[in-house]
Amino acid sequence: MKHYSPLQMIRNSTFPISGVSLLKWGGMLVLLLFPILAWAQDAATQAMSVEYRDIPGIGSRNIIWIVAQQHLLLAGFVLGVPIFAWICEIVGWKTNEPRYDKLAKEFTKLLTSAYATTALFGGILLFLLIGLYPKLMAYLTDIFFPSFIAYCILFILETATLYMYWYGWDAMQGRKKALHIFLGLLLNLFALGIMIVPNAWATFQASPVVIADGTAIERAWSAMQNPTWWPVNIHRLIANVVLGGFICGAYAGVRYLLAVTKEEKEHYDWMGYVGNFIGVFGMLPLPFAGYWLMREIYQYNQQMGITLMGGFLAWLFILQAMLIGVLFLGANYYFWLGIAHRIPGSEGQYKKPIMAMLIVLLACLAVWMTPHSLVASLAEAQKMGGTHHPLLGVFGVMSAKMTVSNLMVLVTFMSFIMYWRAGKVETAGWAKAAKGLMGVLLVIASVAVIGLGIWGYFVPAIIRINYFSVAQVLIVLFIMITFTPLTALLMKSAKTTTEMVWGQMPVRAGYSLVLNAVMVILLMSLMGYARSSSRVHWHIYGVMRDTSEYAYSPALGYAAAFMSLNTFVFCLLAAFIFWVATLGDKAKSQPPKDEPVKVPPMGSSTPAMAGGAPTSEETRK
Amino acid sequence: MSEVALLQLLGMSVVGLGICILLFIKSKFLRVLGFVIIVLGSFSLTALSVPQMASLPPAIESFDIASLKSPDDLASLGQKIFFSKGQCALCHSIGPSHSARCPDLAGIGAKLAPEFIYESLTNPQAYVYLDYRHDQLPEEYPAQMPYINKNPIALSKPEIYSVIAFLQKMSGEPITIKVEDVLNQEPDTKELKVAGHARANDAGNIILAQSSDMVVE
Repeated sequence: MKHYSPLQMIRNSTFPISGVSLLKWGGMLVLLLFPILAWAQDAATQAMSVEYRDIPGIGSRNIIWIVAQQHLLLAGFVLGVPIFAWICEIVGWKTNEPRYDKLAKEFTKLLTSAYATTALFGGILLFLLIGLYPKLMAYLTDIFFPSFIAYCILFILETATLYMYWYGWDAMQGRKKALHIFLGLLLNLFALGIMIVPNAWATFQASPVVIADGTAIERAWSAMQNPTWWPVNIHRLIANVVLGGFICGAYAGVRYLLAVTKEEKEHYDWMGYVGNFIGVFGMLPLPFAGYWLMREIYQYNQQMGITLMGGFLAWLFILQAMLIGVLFLGANYYFWLGIAHRIPGSEGQYKKPIMAMLIVLLACLAVWMTPHSLVASLAEAQKMGGTHHPLLGVFGVMSAKMTVSNLMVLVTFMSFIMYWRAGKVETAGWAKAAKGLMGVLLVIASVAVIGLGIWGYFVPAIIRINYFSVAQVLIVLFIMITFTPLTALLMKSAKTTTEMVWGQMPVRAGYSLVLNAVMVILLMSLMGYARSSSRVHWHIYGVMRDTSEYAYSPALGYAAAFMSLNTFVFCLLAAFIFWVATLGDKAKSQPPKDEPVKVPPMGSSTPAMAGGAPTSEETRK
Repeated sequence: MSEVALLQLLGMSVVGLGICILLFIKSKFLRVLGFVIIVLGSFSLTALSVPQMASLPPAIESFDIASLKSPDDLASLGQKIFFSKGQCALCHSIGPSHSARCPDLAGIGAKLAPEFIYESLTNPQAYVYLDYRHDQLPEEYPAQMPYINKNPIALSKPEIYSVIAFLQKMSGEPITIKVEDVLNQEPDTKELKVAGHARANDAGNIILAQSSDMVVE
């Protein structure tokens, strides 16, 4: 086949232009285009050298802050929910209790509707980052490009699996349930991949490693394996479960408050209980994961650790203590309300232990919130002999804070055990011995945790951090690991004295579920600010400096106002998404009076965004 | 009105609005929203009641090589490069460290000749340093030494000489790098392929980032 140049093609055509005139016109065109081409080249060169762009008024950093926060919160929910939805489904499958399957499906319905919004915010974030921070993004792209491809593949796989998981829910009941459970496993594995790949980009910014020569994949892989990658992965994985659990709890809480029928009240009361349980279950190991992360940060760069814990961010940890404290109180309060209102007659029986637990929690919270250095006037500081209060200063150090955080975890765990045992009488012959053993272990554990905390004042910090704090954590974990199966065995043969009554919780129970969700969202926002601010004026710590006008870290008050705004926007967004997700249900529950109820055929349901897939009950009909 | 006062006013207004919603609005969903904004407003007000500190970026220092007069000036410049553009402190410690991912550089200027240090920086695979801290067989350090004269760090020759002068001074050794040798070096004209926090030399000027600092507003 013969190839012609464009000029030859024009010459060979029947277009009435001679070769000479063509050259004339061409010459004129080049002359005309020359300034435009030169301008384009200048613009391209200029564009290549642009380091930052700004959005007047709101500022580039603020818009990234809002969009990134919304994306992260949605992503946390979307990645956390499949974990417990899948576990719920397995429980329903193994116990043959349809209500667990229905609950798992309801969780997944919320997930599908939130998934697209998460992706939408991810896309907006990406465009904004490329546009507003081109220099940083060029650098990260140069290092991480192979991981971008991996991320895209994972995203496609996750999306495809989610569609099959959701739309195949009813079709894969019965003999095909195992296949559906396998899909759930795949969904969670891909979700894990989707979480850890971007975590590598973010953690590289905080704890970069020097990139040696090598292939693109080798460079990306060495950058991914930075010191804080896995601590953040583990911390986020657990935190996503907590976020997902408490948000589902809040959703159930609001639906409970709005419920009209008895069935609705019962269902959403139960769903709220499960959401709160999942949140608390995830929350118990979370402080330990956080401790590991902080330890790794200190080991990576002591200056960064000091900036976080002792520098301008020190007060942030007082706010963190307050939020965690309120969360612990809220979660426990919900358990206690459950004992009082779902198990008639138990209120009086558990009044004293509940009061004791409340006092311990409040005392622990007070210690946790005690600052290391007090805000004092010069005269006050002179009286105290410094900014450390002679008495309260003792509680402001890490040894005390580690001790009380472990105690709060212990109390919350015991609150759950108490709820589990309420309304039942153990019938096993060894029940008395088991309860006695648990009592002794609990006392020994509490004394050991407090004893190590006091001893921690008299040993070098490295001994306390490496041995004492770890021992405290292990003691609490030991209690949780031994008490849970022991109680399960006890309850297996226990006689129920009072049947649990669902749908009788007071209005404040719904509000406490909402409060817990708000606390978790605020906590995630707060710690996101801490992680970002610990890099101080670096985009990539020690490697690429932030030279924009936003290179400073704002003070806590300003940041907190922003966090509150972000939390409020997220709450509205979540409310809208969940409202859309349940539109299909409302339509189904109110069929037109003149039309018989029709069971929609499989595959003809409304899209996942509307959450309108047929319910399991409909399919069973 | 200061920013803090303005935010406090805003926080109190938000809390007030939430209380009004709870007092006067019947809609259950709006009442939940009112409760949420009371919580958020209270959180903001609490955060505004603690000391307000912001972290401001340090100034960028531009350094003229021609101003170097003595070996101590060289070492001083080298120290700044060591902790900033050179990124040496990302992996190396000066003194024993539990978490060091590369050899401890305390006293390195006394142990090694400047030529050897120069080779270690520009051809790091020529001789691989092993970790002798443990009782077992010596192992390689977890991090691989990059070519310090290539991207992305890309120190110029005068900068590398300054770092060697710092290592010598830090080790209590007389500085054998001469200022004339540094001044006679042609500044590299290479540009960073990917812009870093510091650019390659430009007409003998070196841009340095000072160590981070905390500013109380």
